[in-house]
Formats: sequence, structure tokens, C-alpha cells
Amino acid sequence: MIEFERVSRRFGDQDALRNLNLTLEKGEMAFLTGHSGAGKSTLLRLLLLLDRPSGGDIRVNGESTSNIRSRRVPRYRRRFGVVFQDHRLLFDRSVHDNVALPLLMAGFSPTDTARRVRAALDKVGLLSHERANPAVLSGGEQQRVGIARAVVARPEFLIADEPTGNLDPKLSTEIMALFEAFNQVGVTVLVATHDLPLISRRRHRIVTLQEGRLAGVGSQ
Amino acid sequence: MSASPEQVREEWGRFAAWRSQHRAAAASSWQKLVSRSMATSMVWLVVAISLALPSVLLLTLDNLRPLVPDLARPAQISVMLDRQLDLAQAESVQRQIMDWASVADVVLVGRDEALVTFGEQTGLSELLTSLDRNPLPHTLLILPSGPLADDALGHLIDDLSALPDVDSAMADNQWMARLDQILVAGERWGLALGGAMVMGAILALANTVYLAIAARREEILVVRLIGGSPGFIRRPFLYTGLYFGAGGGVLAGVMLWILTLWVAGPINVLFLLYDSPGQLHGPGWRYPLALIVLGAGLGWLASWTASARYFKRLEAH
Repeated sequence: MIEFERVSRRFGDQDALRNLNLTLEKGEMAFLTGHSGAGKSTLLRLLLLLDRPSGGDIRVNGESTSNIRSRRVPRYRRRFGVVFQDHRLLFDRSVHDNVALPLLMAGFSPTDTARRVRAALDKVGLLSHERANPAVLSGGEQQRVGIARAVVARPEFLIADEPTGNLDPKLSTEIMALFEAFNQVGVTVLVATHDLPLISRRRHRIVTLQEGRLAGVGSQ
Repeated sequence: MSASPEQVREEWGRFAAWRSQHRAAAASSWQKLVSRSMATSMVWLVVAISLALPSVLLLTLDNLRPLVPDLARPAQISVMLDRQLDLAQAESVQRQIMDWASVADVVLVGRDEALVTFGEQTGLSELLTSLDRNPLPHTLLILPSGPLADDALGHLIDDLSALPDVDSAMADNQWMARLDQILVAGERWGLALGGAMVMGAILALANTVYLAIAARREEILVVRLIGGSPGFIRRPFLYTGLYFGAGGGVLAGVMLWILTLWVAGPINVLFLLYDSPGQLHGPGWRYPLALIVLGAGLGWLASWTASARYFKRLEAH
């Protein structure tokens, strides 16, 4: 469970987030939407402790994040799988090694790592590209490698920032279906996107931000 | 309180994880170095030259050191007596000096004895006997009581020179004292030069590693974002620095050996010409080993500081 309680973030005299209250239940899937500059990125950055709130508190499973010291931050971040708009794969290593990265950090054994990487790649339909360099893959495939990397260590939370921003509608639908599949096995999913047509057909909560405030919460 | 089996397993798991992370970092850093072999060789060369130059100086001093005889031996003073003195007068001067507190022993070498010895040593006996008179004076060899400091020795020589029957007096190991001082100075000079070169090596290494880190900014940001600890992020760069430094040390050792083999011929001939039983000492295994360890240590240190500097700037953003 993720709770934002009266969270605000000021940059100079600009409010990026104002008094935001938001709760994401365990196992829930929600979309975060709003115009660019509405505060979506700020919210995700605060959640991943890439930034700290100016006021209020963010609690994860009831535990306040304001007490997490910088030394503990890496361990905290490993509870999240993160998918980026530009997927941010490393082109100096194979698809397998990209996906294995979170497992290497978390200290899985090589045999365990190999098994989990193959399982994750199988899930996103790219098992046959295990040895390929990600640079030779298409945009949609690269994004799926990014998703495999995000879920390979079986995180509690899956966070995605505009994951379909660079993809055509058909591929976007495939990607969203993947997120839903992970949600169905118990992962809490939060997807920031401004692709309203894509999400409005789905039965998940939509959280809309406007100028740093909650403009509406609803589901179809 | 004893650890539960789960805790023990957890600790073992952590150690294994740490080991496999190190293995992965070590391997990937090595692959990166090898794939940029030209740039890597340049760094190795820079480090090697910085380390080899002071080592050559220290090795040279190591070789000169045994040429200085044991200086703990008290200096001996040779006193040439006035050529007019006969043997009896010379013996009286000997007795006179023997009474001095600063003198332990006085040996008289008569001019006839000296001429014979000189003739034997030089093989010029026949020529010398053809002379109508012995050109050598009587000589007193004076052993000061105990080792004297330079100025005390100087005073003794002055006192001896001041005697009316003395032609000249000189310490016969003054050149050794001078050589010893030159070697001490040379050693310090070598250490200072070495320190400067090592500083240069550290700066060059730190800068190279800093550039290597900066070139992988994207990777660092991603790894940080998905939960890589600073130690995990830093590890491959520490190995990069280690390889740069240790490789430079290996190359410096090789340079030292090649140089030694190259100069060994003429130097050994020189030793022979000076009747010295000595031979040129090579760097052995100690010098290369010290160079590799030093290089590796410097590389590690340099990459540590470089990564600390980079991550500090990264955090500031």
C-alpha cells in the first residue's frame, strides 16, 4: 500500500505538488494522468526517493519514507520495478544481462538469475532474443525488455512513466496488457500516462493531476 | 545470543552475492579495457614511466651503496713528514703524537719500506732502484681514538699540519664520506622525484577514471534508479583503476629489467676495471613486485577519489 498524505513539493516559489492525498491499495492498478507539468513526474520521483517532499509524508506499507536514510535508499528502491518512456536499456550488454541487472544488485545466485531472467523474458515474449544486443530490437521490443528488467526481481510495486509514449496504439495495447497481467498476479501497478484513449477503456482507477493538485479520481 | 540458522544462511548468501558482484564487475571492467586496447596501453605507459623513472634512480643507488666501504671504521690520517728528517727524528715525532688524547695509534712507515712496497705494487722496482735517492718521505699512519665527527677530524688534521716537522696531513677516507653524502642526497632526490612522479601518476589515473565514469553516466543513472548501491555502482570503476595501476606496474617492472640487461654489459666491465668484485644488481623480483603492488594501490586510490568526486556532483543534481 502506498499513501501520500498532504504531500507538497515546492521548487523556489513554484508548487509542483500541493497538499496531495492519494492512496494506492495493495494489489491495485491505477493510472496517473494529467498535462505535462501537472506533477506526475514529481510524484514518481518522490515515491522513488529521488527527491524529498517539502511537506507531508509518503508511507509505503504503513512505513514512513521520511525516515529512510540515504544509505538505505538503494534497498528501498529495489522494492519497485521501474519502466521508463525511453526504456533506458544499456547497449553495451546483451538483453539477458540488461534484465539480470536488478538480480545482480540484489545478490541472486547465477543459476537463480539465469532461471528468473528466462522466465521474465518468456513473459514478455522475447526469450529468443536473450543473447541479442538490445540496440538491434524494435522500439516495442526494447520496451518489453525494459518491462522484463522491471519485474525480474518480483518487486512489490511496478511503476511506469509514460511507458507507451513512443509506441503506436497496437504496441501500446500490448504493453498495457502486460502490466495488467503482472497486476493480476498481485503486483501493485502505477502507470503515469497521458494516453487517455488507451486507459479509458480499462477498468482501473484514473488519478488526474492538475497544477500539482488532485483534479479527480475515477474509474470507468 | 547465537545466530539462528536462517541468519547464518543469510550471511553466507550475502557473502556469495558480494563475491559474484565482484566477479561480474572485475570481468566487465576487464572486457572494457581490452576492447579499447590502444587507450589502455597509453594509460599503462604513462603509469609505467612515472613508476619506472624513480625506480631506476633507487636501483642505481642500491648498486652504488656497496661501493662505499664501512664508514663505521675510524678515518685514518696519513702524515707526510718533512723530507729532511731521518728515521730517528721521525720516530721521535711518532712518540710525540702517540701521547695525544685524540690519537689511538701511530704507525711509522719508513721511506725505504715505502719505496719497496710501492715498487712491488706498481712493478716499477727496477726503475725506482735506478734513482739516485728515495723521493718518498717518512710517513705516519694515524688512527684517531674512536670515530670522529667531521670537524673533530678537521681539528686533528690542522693540529698535525701545524707541527714543524710535518709536511702535510690528510684523512684518507674523506672521499668516502663525500660519496656517502652524495648517495644520501641522491636517495632523497630520488624519493622527492618519485613522490612527484607518483603524484603525477595518481592525477593521470584519477582523470582517466573520471572520464571513464563520465562516459558511463547513463548507466550510472539507470542503475541508481533501479536500486544499485553506491558501492555497486563504484565497483567496476575501482577495478578499472586497479587494472590501469597494476598494468602500469607490470610494464614498469619490464622496463626496469630491460634497462638493467641493456646497461649490465658496460657496467660490469666498469666494475672489473675498478677491481671491484661487484656485479650489477638487477631489479630481482622485489622491485617488480613492489611496482605492481604500488601501481595497483595507486590505481585503486585514484579511482576511489575520482568516483567519489563524480558521485558528489551527481548527487548535487
